[in-house]
Amino acid sequence: MEEKAVKGTVTSLSSLFPAEAAHMASKRVEFTIGEKREELNRLNDFVADNTNLINLVQKLPDHLHHDIMVPFGKAAFFPGRLIHTNEFLVLLGDGYYADQTCKQTVDILKRRGKMLQSQVDSLNAVMQDLKAEASFFDTTAFEAAEGLVEIREDYAEENSTERAHESGALEHSSPEADDNKGAVEDEDEEYARMMSRLDELEKEELAAESDSEVDDDEQTNATESDEQIDEVDQNEADADEISDEDFPDHNLIDLQERQPRKPPQQTKDENTITEYSKNKYHHHGDFSDKSTEFTARPLPKDEMPHGRNLTHNVKSNPTENPFLQTGVKDRVESVPSSGNAVSVQTSKPKFDGSKAFTGSIVERTHNLPTNSWGQSTSSQSSGSQPSKPLSRFKMQRK
Amino acid sequence: MGTVVRELQRDLESKANDLNKLQKDIAKNHQVRKKYTIQLGENELVLKELDLLDKDANVYKLIGPVLVKQDLAEANANVRKRIDYISAELKRLDATLQDLEDKQNSKKDAVLKLQQRIQSLQAGKAKA
Repeated sequence: MEEKAVKGTVTSLSSLFPAEAAHMASKRVEFTIGEKREELNRLNDFVADNTNLINLVQKLPDHLHHDIMVPFGKAAFFPGRLIHTNEFLVLLGDGYYADQTCKQTVDILKRRGKMLQSQVDSLNAVMQDLKAEASFFDTTAFEAAEGLVEIREDYAEENSTERAHESGALEHSSPEADDNKGAVEDEDEEYARMMSRLDELEKEELAAESDSEVDDDEQTNATESDEQIDEVDQNEADADEISDEDFPDHNLIDLQERQPRKPPQQTKDENTITEYSKNKYHHHGDFSDKSTEFTARPLPKDEMPHGRNLTHNVKSNPTENPFLQTGVKDRVESVPSSGNAVSVQTSKPKFDGSKAFTGSIVERTHNLPTNSWGQSTSSQSSGSQPSKPLSRFKMQRK
Repeated sequence: MGTVVRELQRDLESKANDLNKLQKDIAKNHQVRKKYTIQLGENELVLKELDLLDKDANVYKLIGPVLVKQDLAEANANVRKRIDYISAELKRLDATLQDLEDKQNSKKDAVLKLQQRIQSLQAGKAKA
Protein backbone atom coordinates (compact mmCIF):
# COMPACT_ATOMS: atom_id res chain seq x y z
CA MET A 1 0.00 0.00 0.00
CA GLU A 2 2.87 2.27 0.74
CA GLU A 3 4.30 1.67 -2.68
CA LYS A 4 1.08 2.78 -4.30
CA ALA A 5 1.19 6.07 -2.50
CA VAL A 6 4.63 6.65 -3.93
CA LYS A 7 3.61 5.67 -7.43
CA GLY A 8 0.43 7.67 -7.84
CA THR A 9 -0.24 11.37 -7.69
CA VAL A 10 -3.61 12.81 -6.89
CA THR A 11 -4.46 16.25 -8.16
CA SER A 12 -7.81 17.80 -7.99
CA LEU A 13 -8.99 18.88 -11.40
CA SER A 14 -9.96 22.29 -10.17
CA SER A 15 -6.33 23.07 -9.29
CA LEU A 16 -5.24 22.15 -12.81
CA PHE A 17 -8.12 23.86 -14.57
CA PRO A 18 -9.92 26.31 -12.36
CA ALA A 19 -13.63 26.25 -13.03
CA GLU A 20 -13.71 29.93 -13.92
CA ALA A 21 -10.90 29.54 -16.42
CA ALA A 22 -12.62 26.60 -18.06
CA HIS A 23 -15.81 28.61 -18.20
CA MET A 24 -13.99 31.50 -19.78
CA ALA A 25 -12.36 29.22 -22.31
CA SER A 26 -15.67 27.66 -23.24
CA LYS A 27 -17.20 31.11 -23.54
CA ARG A 28 -14.45 32.19 -25.85
CA VAL A 29 -14.92 29.14 -27.99
CA GLU A 30 -18.65 29.79 -28.05
CA PHE A 31 -17.96 33.31 -29.20
CA THR A 32 -15.76 32.01 -31.99
CA ILE A 33 -18.48 29.57 -32.97
CA GLY A 34 -20.90 32.48 -33.13
CA GLU A 35 -18.53 34.34 -35.42
CA LYS A 36 -18.13 31.32 -37.63
CA ARG A 37 -21.87 30.86 -37.73
CA GLU A 38 -22.29 34.40 -38.93
CA GLU A 39 -19.73 33.78 -41.60
CA LEU A 40 -21.51 30.62 -42.58
CA ASN A 41 -24.79 32.49 -42.86
CA ARG A 42 -23.13 35.04 -45.08
CA LEU A 43 -21.70 32.31 -47.25
CA ASN A 44 -25.07 30.63 -47.47
CA ASP A 45 -26.55 33.93 -48.57
CA PHE A 46 -23.89 34.07 -51.26
CA VAL A 47 -24.75 30.58 -52.38
CA ALA A 48 -28.44 31.45 -52.58
CA ASP A 49 -27.65 34.64 -54.48
CA ASN A 50 -25.48 32.70 -56.85
CA THR A 51 -28.13 30.12 -57.62
CA ASN A 52 -30.70 32.85 -58.13
CA LEU A 53 -28.35 34.62 -60.49
CA ILE A 54 -27.75 31.41 -62.41
CA ASN A 55 -31.50 30.97 -62.83
CA LEU A 56 -31.92 34.56 -63.99
CA VAL A 57 -29.05 34.38 -66.44
CA GLN A 58 -30.40 31.17 -67.84
CA LYS A 59 -33.82 32.74 -68.31
CA LEU A 60 -32.72 36.02 -69.86
CA PRO A 61 -31.97 34.81 -73.40
CA ASP A 62 -35.43 33.27 -73.64
CA HIS A 63 -36.67 36.58 -75.02
CA LEU A 64 -35.14 39.05 -77.41
CA HIS A 65 -35.82 41.91 -75.00
CA HIS A 66 -37.25 42.44 -71.55
CA ASP A 67 -39.25 45.41 -70.30
CA ILE A 68 -37.67 46.47 -67.05
CA MET A 69 -37.49 49.38 -64.65
CA VAL A 70 -34.07 50.95 -64.86
CA PRO A 71 -32.69 52.36 -61.63
CA PHE A 72 -31.73 55.98 -62.04
CA GLY A 73 -29.82 57.50 -59.20
CA LYS A 74 -30.67 56.37 -55.73
CA ALA A 75 -34.42 56.62 -55.60
CA ALA A 76 -35.71 56.89 -59.15
CA PHE A 77 -36.65 54.31 -61.73
CA PHE A 78 -37.76 54.73 -65.27
CA PRO A 79 -39.13 52.15 -67.68
CA GLY A 80 -36.64 50.69 -70.06
CA ARG A 81 -35.93 47.76 -72.20
CA LEU A 82 -33.25 45.13 -71.83
CA ILE A 83 -31.81 44.11 -75.18
CA HIS A 84 -28.87 41.95 -76.20
CA THR A 85 -30.08 39.37 -73.75
CA ASN A 86 -27.33 36.93 -74.57
CA GLU A 87 -24.44 39.26 -73.81
CA PHE A 88 -23.07 39.60 -70.33
CA LEU A 89 -20.22 41.64 -68.98
CA VAL A 90 -18.98 39.41 -66.21
CA LEU A 91 -16.82 40.59 -63.35
CA LEU A 92 -14.11 38.00 -62.94
CA GLY A 93 -12.74 39.66 -59.83
CA ASP A 94 -10.05 42.22 -59.11
CA GLY A 95 -11.47 44.67 -61.61
CA TYR A 96 -11.33 42.34 -64.57
CA TYR A 97 -14.40 42.04 -66.76
CA ALA A 98 -15.10 39.85 -69.75
CA ASP A 99 -17.75 39.77 -72.46
CA GLN A 100 -19.53 36.46 -72.21
CA THR A 101 -22.54 34.66 -73.55
CA CYS A 102 -25.26 33.31 -71.33
CA LYS A 103 -23.82 29.83 -71.35
CA GLN A 104 -20.30 30.92 -70.52
CA THR A 105 -21.65 33.11 -67.76
CA VAL A 106 -23.57 30.23 -66.29
CA ASP A 107 -20.42 28.12 -66.39
CA ILE A 108 -18.48 30.80 -64.55
CA LEU A 109 -21.23 31.16 -61.99
CA LYS A 110 -21.38 27.44 -61.46
CA ARG A 111 -17.64 27.30 -60.86
CA ARG A 112 -18.06 30.11 -58.39
CA GLY A 113 -20.86 28.18 -56.72
CA LYS A 114 -18.55 25.19 -56.35
CA MET A 115 -15.93 27.39 -54.71
CA LEU A 116 -18.54 28.72 -52.31
CA GLN A 117 -19.72 25.25 -51.53
CA SER A 118 -16.22 24.09 -50.68
CA GLN A 119 -15.83 27.10 -48.43
CA VAL A 120 -19.09 26.26 -46.72
CA ASP A 121 -17.94 22.69 -46.21
CA SER A 122 -14.63 23.71 -44.69
CA LEU A 123 -16.38 26.19 -42.44
CA ASN A 124 -18.75 23.48 -41.29
CA ALA A 125 -15.81 21.24 -40.45
CA VAL A 126 -14.18 24.04 -38.47
CA MET A 127 -17.39 24.62 -36.58
CA GLN A 128 -17.67 20.96 -35.74
CA ASP A 129 -14.16 21.05 -34.28
CA LEU A 130 -14.98 24.14 -32.29
CA LYS A 131 -18.13 22.59 -30.96
CA ALA A 132 -16.22 19.54 -29.80
CA GLU A 133 -13.75 21.85 -28.10
CA ALA A 134 -16.54 23.79 -26.44
CA SER A 135 -18.18 20.67 -25.11
CA PHE A 136 -14.81 19.53 -23.78
CA PHE A 137 -14.33 22.83 -21.98
CA ASP A 138 -17.85 22.66 -20.64
CA THR A 139 -17.38 19.19 -19.22
CA THR A 140 -14.03 20.19 -17.78
CA ALA A 141 -15.58 23.17 -16.09
CA PHE A 142 -18.37 21.02 -14.76
CA GLU A 143 -16.02 18.38 -13.46
CA ALA A 144 -13.72 20.94 -11.88
CA ALA A 145 -16.70 22.52 -10.15
CA GLU A 146 -17.79 19.10 -8.92
CA GLY A 147 -14.41 18.54 -7.30
CA LEU A 148 -13.20 15.68 -9.46
CA VAL A 149 -9.65 14.54 -8.82
CA GLU A 150 -7.16 13.25 -11.29
CA ILE A 151 -5.20 10.19 -10.20
CA ARG A 152 -2.04 9.68 -12.08
CA GLU A 153 -0.13 6.44 -11.71
CA ASP A 154 2.85 5.60 -13.86
CA TYR A 155 2.48 2.24 -15.48
CA ALA A 156 5.94 0.68 -15.26
CA GLU A 157 5.96 -3.09 -15.01
CA GLU A 158 9.72 -3.46 -15.28
CA ASN A 159 10.36 -0.90 -12.62
CA SER A 160 8.20 -2.74 -10.16
CA THR A 161 9.88 -6.08 -10.87
CA GLU A 162 13.28 -4.47 -10.52
CA ARG A 163 12.21 -2.99 -7.27
CA ALA A 164 10.97 -6.37 -6.21
CA HIS A 165 14.36 -7.84 -6.93
CA GLU A 166 15.97 -5.18 -4.86
CA SER A 167 13.66 -5.52 -1.91
CA GLY A 168 13.52 -9.28 -1.55
CA ALA A 169 14.24 -12.00 -4.08
CA LEU A 170 12.76 -14.89 -2.16
CA GLU A 171 9.47 -13.27 -1.44
CA HIS A 172 8.77 -12.22 -4.97
CA SER A 173 10.38 -14.99 -6.93
CA SER A 174 7.42 -17.37 -6.90
CA PRO A 175 4.77 -14.89 -8.05
CA GLU A 176 7.14 -13.66 -10.69
CA ALA A 177 7.65 -17.14 -12.05
CA ASP A 178 3.92 -17.63 -12.01
CA ASP A 179 3.55 -14.45 -13.94
CA ASN A 180 6.02 -15.57 -16.54
CA LYS A 181 4.38 -18.93 -16.87
CA GLY A 182 1.03 -17.28 -17.18
CA ALA A 183 2.33 -15.06 -19.92
CA VAL A 184 3.65 -18.02 -21.87
CA GLU A 185 0.38 -19.85 -21.46
CA ASP A 186 -1.48 -16.79 -22.55
CA GLU A 187 0.58 -16.61 -25.67
CA ASP A 188 0.01 -20.26 -26.47
CA GLU A 189 -3.68 -19.94 -25.88
CA GLU A 190 -3.92 -16.92 -28.07
CA TYR A 191 -2.03 -18.64 -30.83
CA ALA A 192 -4.29 -21.68 -30.65
CA ARG A 193 -7.35 -19.48 -30.73
CA MET A 194 -6.10 -17.62 -33.74
CA MET A 195 -5.35 -20.81 -35.59
CA SER A 196 -8.72 -22.32 -34.80
CA ARG A 197 -10.42 -19.14 -35.97
CA LEU A 198 -8.44 -19.24 -39.20
CA ASP A 199 -9.42 -22.86 -39.73
CA GLU A 200 -13.04 -21.98 -39.14
CA LEU A 201 -12.90 -19.16 -41.66
CA GLU A 202 -11.25 -21.41 -44.21
CA LYS A 203 -13.95 -24.01 -43.78
CA GLU A 204 -16.64 -21.41 -44.16
CA GLU A 205 -15.05 -20.12 -47.29
CA LEU A 206 -14.86 -23.58 -48.78
CA ALA A 207 -18.46 -24.29 -47.91
CA ALA A 208 -19.60 -21.03 -49.44
CA GLU A 209 -17.68 -21.75 -52.62
CA SER A 210 -19.15 -25.19 -53.12
CA ASP A 211 -22.62 -23.86 -52.35
CA SER A 212 -22.42 -21.13 -54.88
CA GLU A 213 -21.12 -23.54 -57.49
CA VAL A 214 -24.05 -25.84 -56.98
CA ASP A 215 -26.42 -22.92 -57.16
CA ASP A 216 -24.93 -21.75 -60.39
CA ASP A 217 -25.20 -25.15 -61.93
CA GLU A 218 -28.81 -25.50 -60.95
CA GLN A 219 -29.65 -22.11 -62.26
CA THR A 220 -28.03 -22.65 -65.60
CA ASN A 221 -29.78 -25.97 -65.95
CA ALA A 222 -33.11 -24.43 -65.17
CA THR A 223 -32.68 -21.61 -67.63
CA GLU A 224 -31.46 -23.96 -70.29
CA SER A 225 -34.49 -26.16 -70.02
CA ASP A 226 -36.70 -23.10 -70.07
CA GLU A 227 -35.04 -21.92 -73.18
CA GLN A 228 -35.50 -25.24 -74.81
CA ILE A 229 -39.19 -25.18 -74.10
CA ASP A 230 -39.35 -21.69 -75.43
CA GLU A 231 -37.64 -22.76 -78.59
CA VAL A 232 -40.13 -25.53 -79.15
CA ASP A 233 -42.98 -23.11 -78.65
CA GLN A 234 -41.45 -20.67 -80.99
CA ASN A 235 -41.00 -23.30 -83.62
CA GLU A 236 -44.66 -24.12 -83.43
CA ALA A 237 -45.59 -20.49 -83.57
CA ASP A 238 -43.30 -19.90 -86.46
CA ALA A 239 -44.89 -22.73 -88.35
CA ASP A 240 -48.23 -21.07 -87.86
CA GLU A 241 -46.90 -17.75 -88.95
CA ILE A 242 -45.42 -19.21 -92.06
CA SER A 243 -48.76 -20.61 -93.00
CA ASP A 244 -50.08 -17.11 -92.59
CA GLU A 245 -47.58 -15.77 -94.94
CA ASP A 246 -48.34 -18.35 -97.49
CA PHE A 247 -51.74 -16.85 -97.65
CA PRO A 248 -51.74 -14.32 -100.47
CA ASP A 249 -53.33 -11.48 -98.64
CA HIS A 250 -50.98 -10.14 -96.04
CA ASN A 251 -53.17 -7.19 -95.41
CA LEU A 252 -55.50 -9.31 -93.42
CA ILE A 253 -52.98 -10.07 -90.80
CA ASP A 254 -52.10 -6.49 -90.42
CA LEU A 255 -55.66 -5.43 -90.40
CA GLN A 256 -56.73 -7.86 -87.77
CA GLU A 257 -54.04 -6.81 -85.45
CA ARG A 258 -55.02 -3.24 -85.80
CA GLN A 259 -58.61 -3.82 -85.02
CA PRO A 260 -59.84 -2.53 -81.70
CA ARG A 261 -60.90 -4.90 -79.03
CA LYS A 262 -64.56 -4.36 -78.93
CA PRO A 263 -67.26 -6.90 -78.44
CA PRO A 264 -68.57 -8.20 -81.71
CA GLN A 265 -71.84 -6.87 -83.04
CA GLN A 266 -71.02 -3.49 -81.66
CA THR A 267 -71.70 -0.75 -84.13
CA LYS A 268 -68.78 1.25 -85.21
CA ASP A 269 -68.83 4.87 -86.06
CA GLU A 270 -67.67 5.93 -89.44
CA ASN A 271 -64.67 7.62 -88.05
CA THR A 272 -62.97 4.54 -86.79
CA ILE A 273 -63.76 2.64 -89.90
CA THR A 274 -62.08 5.16 -92.06
CA GLU A 275 -59.20 5.07 -89.70
CA TYR A 276 -58.88 1.39 -90.20
CA SER A 277 -58.82 1.72 -93.86
CA LYS A 278 -56.26 4.42 -93.55
CA ASN A 279 -54.14 2.25 -91.34
CA LYS A 280 -54.45 -0.54 -93.74
CA TYR A 281 -53.34 1.51 -96.66
CA HIS A 282 -50.63 3.05 -94.65
CA HIS A 283 -49.21 -0.29 -93.73
CA HIS A 284 -49.55 -1.66 -97.14
CA GLY A 285 -46.07 -0.55 -97.95
CA ASP A 286 -44.56 -2.42 -95.03
CA PHE A 287 -45.49 -5.87 -96.18
CA SER A 288 -42.26 -6.85 -97.73
CA ASP A 289 -40.51 -5.97 -94.51
CA LYS A 290 -43.04 -7.67 -92.40
CA SER A 291 -43.03 -10.97 -94.10
CA THR A 292 -39.34 -11.35 -93.49
CA GLU A 293 -39.50 -10.05 -89.99
CA PHE A 294 -42.33 -12.32 -89.20
CA THR A 295 -40.22 -15.36 -89.57
CA ALA A 296 -37.02 -13.89 -88.28
CA ARG A 297 -38.15 -12.46 -85.00
CA PRO A 298 -38.09 -14.58 -81.90
CA LEU A 299 -41.58 -15.08 -80.60
CA PRO A 300 -42.39 -14.99 -76.95
CA LYS A 301 -44.35 -17.89 -75.59
CA ASP A 302 -47.63 -16.12 -75.31
CA GLU A 303 -47.39 -15.13 -78.90
CA MET A 304 -48.25 -18.58 -80.06
CA PRO A 305 -51.99 -18.67 -79.51
CA HIS A 306 -52.31 -15.34 -81.12
CA GLY A 307 -50.65 -16.57 -84.25
CA ARG A 308 -53.03 -19.50 -84.38
CA ASN A 309 -55.93 -17.25 -83.91
CA LEU A 310 -54.85 -15.17 -86.82
CA THR A 311 -54.56 -18.17 -89.01
CA HIS A 312 -58.02 -19.18 -88.10
CA ASN A 313 -59.42 -15.78 -88.82
CA VAL A 314 -57.73 -15.38 -92.07
CA LYS A 315 -58.82 -18.72 -93.30
CA SER A 316 -62.39 -18.21 -92.28
CA ASN A 317 -62.63 -15.11 -94.38
CA PRO A 318 -60.73 -15.99 -97.47
CA THR A 319 -62.91 -14.09 -99.86
CA GLU A 320 -62.86 -10.79 -98.14
CA ASN A 321 -61.46 -7.82 -99.90
CA PRO A 322 -59.62 -5.81 -97.37
CA PHE A 323 -59.54 -2.74 -99.50
CA LEU A 324 -63.24 -2.23 -99.18
CA GLN A 325 -64.69 -0.51 -96.21
CA THR A 326 -67.52 -2.96 -95.97
CA GLY A 327 -65.03 -5.72 -95.89
CA VAL A 328 -63.29 -4.04 -93.05
CA LYS A 329 -66.46 -3.72 -91.15
CA ASP A 330 -67.34 -7.33 -91.70
CA ARG A 331 -63.99 -8.35 -90.44
CA VAL A 332 -64.32 -6.29 -87.36
CA GLU A 333 -67.55 -7.90 -86.51
CA SER A 334 -66.74 -11.41 -87.50
CA VAL A 335 -63.51 -11.88 -85.69
CA PRO A 336 -64.03 -13.90 -82.58
CA SER A 337 -60.98 -14.22 -80.45
CA SER A 338 -62.15 -15.92 -77.34
CA GLY A 339 -59.37 -18.44 -77.60
CA ASN A 340 -56.89 -15.68 -77.85
CA ALA A 341 -57.98 -13.88 -74.77
CA VAL A 342 -58.11 -16.98 -72.63
CA SER A 343 -54.80 -18.34 -73.67
CA VAL A 344 -53.15 -15.03 -73.29
CA GLN A 345 -54.53 -14.76 -69.82
CA THR A 346 -52.98 -17.98 -68.73
CA SER A 347 -49.56 -17.16 -70.01
CA LYS A 348 -47.53 -14.43 -68.52
CA PRO A 349 -46.91 -11.58 -70.86
CA LYS A 350 -43.37 -10.65 -71.58
CA PHE A 351 -43.21 -6.95 -71.93
CA ASP A 352 -40.32 -5.61 -73.85
CA GLY A 353 -40.14 -1.92 -73.17
CA SER A 354 -36.83 -1.50 -74.88
CA LYS A 355 -38.39 -1.87 -78.28
CA ALA A 356 -39.17 1.47 -79.78
CA PHE A 357 -42.31 2.09 -81.73
CA THR A 358 -41.51 1.62 -85.35
CA GLY A 359 -44.95 1.30 -86.82
CA SER A 360 -44.10 -2.12 -88.18
CA ILE A 361 -45.57 -5.37 -87.02
CA VAL A 362 -42.47 -6.34 -85.10
CA GLU A 363 -42.93 -3.75 -82.46
CA ARG A 364 -46.52 -4.58 -81.85
CA THR A 365 -46.01 -8.26 -81.45
CA HIS A 366 -44.14 -7.68 -78.25
CA ASN A 367 -46.50 -5.21 -76.74
CA LEU A 368 -49.63 -6.80 -77.96
CA PRO A 369 -50.01 -9.63 -75.49
CA THR A 370 -49.63 -7.29 -72.58
CA ASN A 371 -52.34 -5.05 -73.79
CA SER A 372 -54.72 -7.81 -74.59
CA TRP A 373 -54.03 -9.45 -71.29
CA GLY A 374 -54.85 -6.35 -69.32
CA GLN A 375 -57.88 -5.57 -71.39
CA SER A 376 -59.30 -9.02 -71.65
CA THR A 377 -59.60 -9.23 -67.90
CA SER A 378 -61.47 -5.98 -67.82
CA SER A 379 -63.73 -6.94 -70.66
CA GLN A 380 -64.44 -10.27 -69.05
CA SER A 381 -65.28 -8.69 -65.78
CA SER A 382 -67.78 -6.50 -67.50
CA GLY A 383 -69.41 -9.59 -68.91
CA SER A 384 -68.84 -8.93 -72.55
CA GLN A 385 -67.10 -11.35 -74.82
CA PRO A 386 -63.35 -11.12 -74.91
CA SER A 387 -62.22 -9.37 -77.96
CA LYS A 388 -59.18 -8.86 -79.99
CA PRO A 389 -55.85 -7.48 -78.98
CA LEU A 390 -55.14 -3.87 -79.56
CA SER A 391 -51.91 -2.33 -80.48
CA ARG A 392 -50.47 0.45 -78.43
CA PHE A 393 -50.66 2.57 -81.50
CA LYS A 394 -54.39 2.10 -81.61
CA MET A 395 -54.89 2.73 -77.94
CA GLN A 396 -53.25 6.07 -78.18
CA ARG A 397 -55.63 7.11 -80.84
CA LYS A 398 -58.70 6.43 -78.85
CA MET B 1 15.48 49.11 -1.05
CA GLY B 2 12.52 51.29 -1.94
CA THR B 3 14.31 52.87 -4.86
CA VAL B 4 15.19 49.49 -6.29
CA VAL B 5 11.58 48.42 -6.23
CA ARG B 6 10.49 51.66 -7.79
CA GLU B 7 13.02 51.31 -10.56
CA LEU B 8 11.99 47.78 -11.20
CA GLN B 9 8.40 48.83 -11.41
CA ARG B 10 9.21 51.53 -13.90
CA ASP B 11 11.12 49.00 -15.91
CA LEU B 12 8.19 46.66 -15.78
CA GLU B 13 5.84 49.34 -16.98
CA SER B 14 7.94 50.23 -19.98
CA LYS B 15 8.36 46.56 -20.84
CA ALA B 16 4.61 46.01 -20.59
CA ASN B 17 4.09 48.95 -22.94
CA ASP B 18 6.52 47.46 -25.40
CA LEU B 19 4.70 44.16 -25.20
CA ASN B 20 1.39 45.88 -25.88
CA LYS B 21 2.85 47.62 -28.88
CA LEU B 22 4.19 44.34 -30.20
CA GLN B 23 0.85 42.70 -29.76
CA LYS B 24 -0.83 45.50 -31.65
CA ASP B 25 1.69 45.12 -34.45
CA ILE B 26 1.02 41.44 -34.63
CA ALA B 27 -2.72 42.04 -34.81
CA LYS B 28 -2.20 44.55 -37.61
CA ASN B 29 0.04 42.11 -39.40
CA HIS B 30 -2.62 39.47 -39.13
CA GLN B 31 -5.17 41.77 -40.64
CA VAL B 32 -2.95 42.73 -43.56
CA ARG B 33 -2.16 39.10 -44.09
CA LYS B 34 -5.81 38.23 -44.19
CA LYS B 35 -6.44 40.92 -46.78
CA TYR B 36 -3.62 39.68 -48.94
CA THR B 37 -4.77 36.09 -48.64
CA ILE B 38 -8.22 37.07 -49.82
CA GLN B 39 -6.73 39.00 -52.71
CA LEU B 40 -4.56 36.08 -53.62
CA GLY B 41 -7.57 33.81 -53.70
CA GLU B 42 -9.46 36.27 -55.86
CA ASN B 43 -6.59 36.64 -58.27
CA GLU B 44 -6.16 32.92 -58.57
CA LEU B 45 -9.86 32.70 -59.38
CA VAL B 46 -9.45 35.38 -62.04
CA LEU B 47 -6.49 33.57 -63.50
CA LYS B 48 -8.46 30.35 -63.70
CA GLU B 49 -11.34 32.10 -65.43
CA LEU B 50 -9.02 33.90 -67.81
CA ASP B 51 -7.45 30.61 -68.74
CA LEU B 52 -10.89 29.22 -69.49
CA LEU B 53 -11.93 32.16 -71.68
CA ASP B 54 -12.03 31.99 -75.46
CA LYS B 55 -8.96 33.26 -77.24
CA ASP B 56 -10.88 36.14 -78.83
CA ALA B 57 -12.89 37.13 -75.79
CA ASN B 58 -13.04 40.81 -74.88
CA VAL B 59 -11.47 41.50 -71.52
CA TYR B 60 -11.76 44.80 -69.69
CA LYS B 61 -10.08 46.18 -66.64
CA LEU B 62 -11.87 48.62 -64.39
CA ILE B 63 -9.53 51.51 -63.78
CA GLY B 64 -11.22 54.13 -61.69
CA PRO B 65 -14.52 54.92 -63.35
CA VAL B 66 -13.67 53.51 -66.79
CA LEU B 67 -13.48 50.08 -68.29
CA VAL B 68 -10.30 49.81 -70.31
CA LYS B 69 -10.17 47.13 -72.90
CA GLN B 70 -7.25 44.81 -72.49
CA ASP B 71 -5.63 42.07 -74.43
CA LEU B 72 -6.36 38.65 -72.99
CA ALA B 73 -2.66 37.77 -72.93
CA GLU B 74 -1.84 41.07 -71.32
CA ALA B 75 -4.51 40.62 -68.68
CA ASN B 76 -3.24 37.14 -68.03
CA ALA B 77 0.32 38.39 -67.58
CA ASN B 78 -0.88 41.16 -65.30
CA VAL B 79 -2.80 38.79 -63.09
CA ARG B 80 0.14 36.44 -62.91
CA LYS B 81 2.42 39.29 -61.93
CA ARG B 82 -0.01 40.36 -59.29
CA ILE B 83 -0.21 36.87 -57.87
CA ASP B 84 3.58 36.72 -57.72
CA TYR B 85 3.66 40.06 -55.98
CA ILE B 86 1.05 39.05 -53.44
CA SER B 87 2.78 35.77 -52.75
CA ALA B 88 6.06 37.60 -52.15
CA GLU B 89 4.27 40.03 -49.90
CA LEU B 90 2.69 37.22 -47.95
CA LYS B 91 6.07 35.61 -47.47
CA ARG B 92 7.49 38.89 -46.23
CA LEU B 93 4.60 39.27 -43.83
CA ASP B 94 5.15 35.78 -42.55
CA ALA B 95 8.77 36.58 -41.84
CA THR B 96 7.92 39.78 -39.97
CA LEU B 97 5.21 37.97 -38.08
CA GLN B 98 7.65 35.34 -36.97
CA ASP B 99 10.06 38.04 -35.91
CA LEU B 100 7.39 39.88 -33.98
CA GLU B 101 6.24 36.76 -32.23
CA ASP B 102 9.77 35.95 -31.16
CA LYS B 103 10.14 39.43 -29.79
CA GLN B 104 6.82 39.15 -28.04
CA ASN B 105 7.80 35.92 -26.37
CA SER B 106 11.10 37.30 -25.13
CA LYS B 107 9.34 40.39 -23.82
CA LYS B 108 6.79 38.25 -22.07
CA ASP B 109 9.54 36.31 -20.37
CA ALA B 110 11.23 39.50 -19.31
CA VAL B 111 8.00 40.89 -17.90
CA LEU B 112 7.34 37.67 -16.03
CA LYS B 113 10.82 37.72 -14.49
CA LEU B 114 10.45 41.30 -13.45
CA GLN B 115 7.12 40.59 -11.83
CA GLN B 116 8.62 37.71 -9.88
CA ARG B 117 11.52 39.82 -8.73
CA ILE B 118 9.24 42.57 -7.57
CA GLN B 119 7.09 40.08 -5.75
CA SER B 120 10.04 38.48 -4.01
CA LEU B 121 11.41 41.87 -3.09
CA GLN B 122 8.10 42.93 -1.68
CA ALA B 123 7.80 39.71 0.24
CA GLY B 124 11.29 40.23 1.65
CA LYS B 125 10.39 43.72 2.62
CA ALA B 126 7.28 42.57 4.39
CA LYS B 127 9.33 40.05 6.35
CA ALA B 128 11.90 42.63 7.20
